[in-house]
Amino acid sequence: MAILMDFFDNLALGLSVAFSWSNLFWCFVGVTLGTFIGVLPGIGALAAVSLLLPVTFHLDPTSALVMLAGVYYGSAYGGSTASILLNLPGTPSSAVACLDGYPMSRQGRAGVALLMSALGSFIGGVIGILLMMLFSPLIVDAALSFGPPEYFTMMVLGLIAASTISTGTPIKGIAMVVLGVLLGLIGTDIETGTPRLAFDLPELFDGIGLVAIAMGLFGVSEVIASIKVIRSGHIEKKITFRSMIPTRDDVRRFWFPVLRGAGIGSFFGALPGTGGVIASFVAYAVEKKVSSEPERFGKGAIEGVVAPETANNAADQTAFIPTMTLGIPGSVVMALMIGALMIHGISPGPQMMTKNPDLFWGLIMSFWIGNVLLLVLNIPLIGIWVRVLVIPYHVLYPAVLMFVCIGVYSINNSTFDVYMVMLFGGVGYIMRLVDLQPAPLLLGFVLGPLMEENLRRTLIISRGEFTIFMARPLSAAFIVVTLALLAWALWNALPRRSAIEGAR
Amino acid sequence: MYTRDYRDLIGGGLLLLLGLFVGVHSLTSYDIGTLRHMGPGMFPAWLGFLLAGIGAVILVLGLFRPGERIEPNYRQFFAVILGVLIFAVTVGTFGMIPAVVLLTFAAVLADDKLGAVEAVILAIVLSVLALVIFRVGLRIPLQTFAWPF
Repeated sequence: MAILMDFFDNLALGLSVAFSWSNLFWCFVGVTLGTFIGVLPGIGALAAVSLLLPVTFHLDPTSALVMLAGVYYGSAYGGSTASILLNLPGTPSSAVACLDGYPMSRQGRAGVALLMSALGSFIGGVIGILLMMLFSPLIVDAALSFGPPEYFTMMVLGLIAASTISTGTPIKGIAMVVLGVLLGLIGTDIETGTPRLAFDLPELFDGIGLVAIAMGLFGVSEVIASIKVIRSGHIEKKITFRSMIPTRDDVRRFWFPVLRGAGIGSFFGALPGTGGVIASFVAYAVEKKVSSEPERFGKGAIEGVVAPETANNAADQTAFIPTMTLGIPGSVVMALMIGALMIHGISPGPQMMTKNPDLFWGLIMSFWIGNVLLLVLNIPLIGIWVRVLVIPYHVLYPAVLMFVCIGVYSINNSTFDVYMVMLFGGVGYIMRLVDLQPAPLLLGFVLGPLMEENLRRTLIISRGEFTIFMARPLSAAFIVVTLALLAWALWNALPRRSAIEGAR
Repeated sequence: MYTRDYRDLIGGGLLLLLGLFVGVHSLTSYDIGTLRHMGPGMFPAWLGFLLAGIGAVILVLGLFRPGERIEPNYRQFFAVILGVLIFAVTVGTFGMIPAVVLLTFAAVLADDKLGAVEAVILAIVLSVLALVIFRVGLRIPLQTFAWPF
């Protein structure tokens, strides 16, 4: 009973926070910007959240998080619009929606595809939120008993999972994580006060700013790489309400893919290293497999639009579970969310859940509001977004650069930060050229200092013995899973090489 | 296609050098401490050598694998970096609006799509946008114009 009472207390608290005027306003701003950015090809959720990080310096932490989260899940709604109408994914997680969404729009059924994907997204989001409300308190209870060894091994697991599963080559992902951790260590050592790797630059004594790194790697270098590549399209037909009306057959085909998509999405969203992109691909593959007419896929099957779109929205919501309850981000966007909270001196994890319940439950309740707003934005107001689609990239990228420069400068009125953005923009582009992914780097950057702190504490507790990691059951389990992941990555790397040898 | 993966040779090589530098620098400049009480140098030293090791593996694997050509967009790279540089140099002395205008002029050099007239129009639009978003919307006290002389 007491648990139930707590639950309702938390709900009431969350509602009162989420329905405050300022949080409603920032939620609206977030989801609107998210849809806008999701629709624009070439700017994904990652770049969008990076771009908006500076704004959070000027907001209170709850509003900041509500807005950034809105941008994030809003972009998943908007992303499908570009996929369906133009065959250009607005965001990576909407890439699968092209496969059947674009054929549908060639058949004049774009309206139906847009409506169904918005509805599916909404249901996926709702299921994700419900799971988050249900499981978060349980995980927090368990996590309150975690000590430094559990935290350290859990972070190692999270980083290895993120760098080996989702990015191209596992070994390069791990290299980037290590580099990121090193960058995170730049600045004054908390324990001893020694400035490390700062090379007598006083600006570096506080460490490199997360905003400067994120904007350089995901804003500036993205722009450099995209200018020649992205071409905007044009849309022939207007989307009318009449064209949105689904047939009886569409409705019949809607429900099971939605439920399967939501399940798959929720699962992959909560795991570290996987997220909306993988969830949407898996959901599509599963639909094709269970369908009695797999030949319809790729030619405008409604299931092929609905399931992945539902999955990526469910994943976007459940991704917050490990981030908020454990402080372990499963993806880069989640790392940025953690960074945004750290800017305000709050570190996510079980302590935050008990100390700042208003923040967590306010955020969850804002998800409800945000998803309802998104439904309104994406169905009756779809016409606006269709017009956004034709904004050409050559007008857009100077605006992105303007936003990056002023945004980072506005934090401390510091030109040093702008130089850092320039540096990381250049480095990020060179990294792309030599096929090194910037995403794991940022994860390592955010978690690096926490890892060192927990490792130090562990070794103090154990008097310098590493056996403590195997002596505690949970940390031993984390280590075993980490090793299994590494073995799997190695196993995957081998056959490909021998295939090349064989081809010679 | 090349017979060797030059991307990995360059990437792995850079990581190897950087890792060695960080490792040696941490060993020599900071207190390493003991396992029981880690000093500020221990963690970065480990990670530096780990990075160097991974870099070496990437480099060696790249020697035995065909790879794709590296095709940098030099023009886009220099135009965009120049834009950010100009912004950084000018924003403190001349204020936000001149910095945005100069940034825009540098940035449009990356693409052939916009002529001089369009670039001026875009610069004006972006200046107004910057004012509306940052000064009016977010109320951030940024100096709009400054005259240093």
